[in-house]
Amino acid sequence: MFNLYRQIFALGILSLLHAAYSAAQHRSYLRITEQEFDGLPLDIFVQGVVSLFLSMYGILYLAGDFKEVRAIEELECKTWETLHNTPAFYIFNHRGKTLFSNKF
Amino acid sequence: MTENKESKETKFKELVSYSEPALRNNSSVVEYCRTSMSALSGCTAGILGLTGLSGFIFYIFSVLALWGLLLFKAGNLWQKYFLNRHSLLTGGFFSGLFTYVLFWTFLYGMVHVY
Repeated sequence: MFNLYRQIFALGILSLLHAAYSAAQHRSYLRITEQEFDGLPLDIFVQGVVSLFLSMYGILYLAGDFKEVRAIEELECKTWETLHNTPAFYIFNHRGKTLFSNKF
Repeated sequence: MTENKESKETKFKELVSYSEPALRNNSSVVEYCRTSMSALSGCTAGILGLTGLSGFIFYIFSVLALWGLLLFKAGNLWQKYFLNRHSLLTGGFFSGLFTYVLFWTFLYGMVHVY
């Protein structure tokens, strides 16, 4: 399963988890040293936002491709025979049965 | 003769038929992206420790970013895939907000409270 976008997504999620772990560590450090919490350090903040965009970029391509909404684009490459193929009106009871049978 | 041809062309431009499976496919892709984006940005907001108004501002930022990403994916010919651009931005705003708040409070509790 070597899919580039899947790996980008996995990388983003891992990086996000790492940022979460760093934030929790920073929080416990502040608690031990008895300081007030006023925002995370800039590097954890930047890592969080960048990994959000990384995983979002992966998801954007994993979600599937867009299709052309104009009906013409889809029908252009089909022939009249394909469009008017109605299996309900097939007839099998015709002269071929007698002509190509192996009775003789 | 040319006038006749022109009128035919304008008529052809007015009568554009859309393929419904393609429209439904595109909207389901957009919905998938929107749900994932609200969940992921909620996680990020919780990790970053945003509280109160700044979290909601971050949500609006993430919605705008998702809009940009979708238009980036569609390329410079977004008319081929979507009927209009602004419904991409505004559609499903509040359902996404609820998902966002869910993940935001969860991750904030996991990282900053415990």
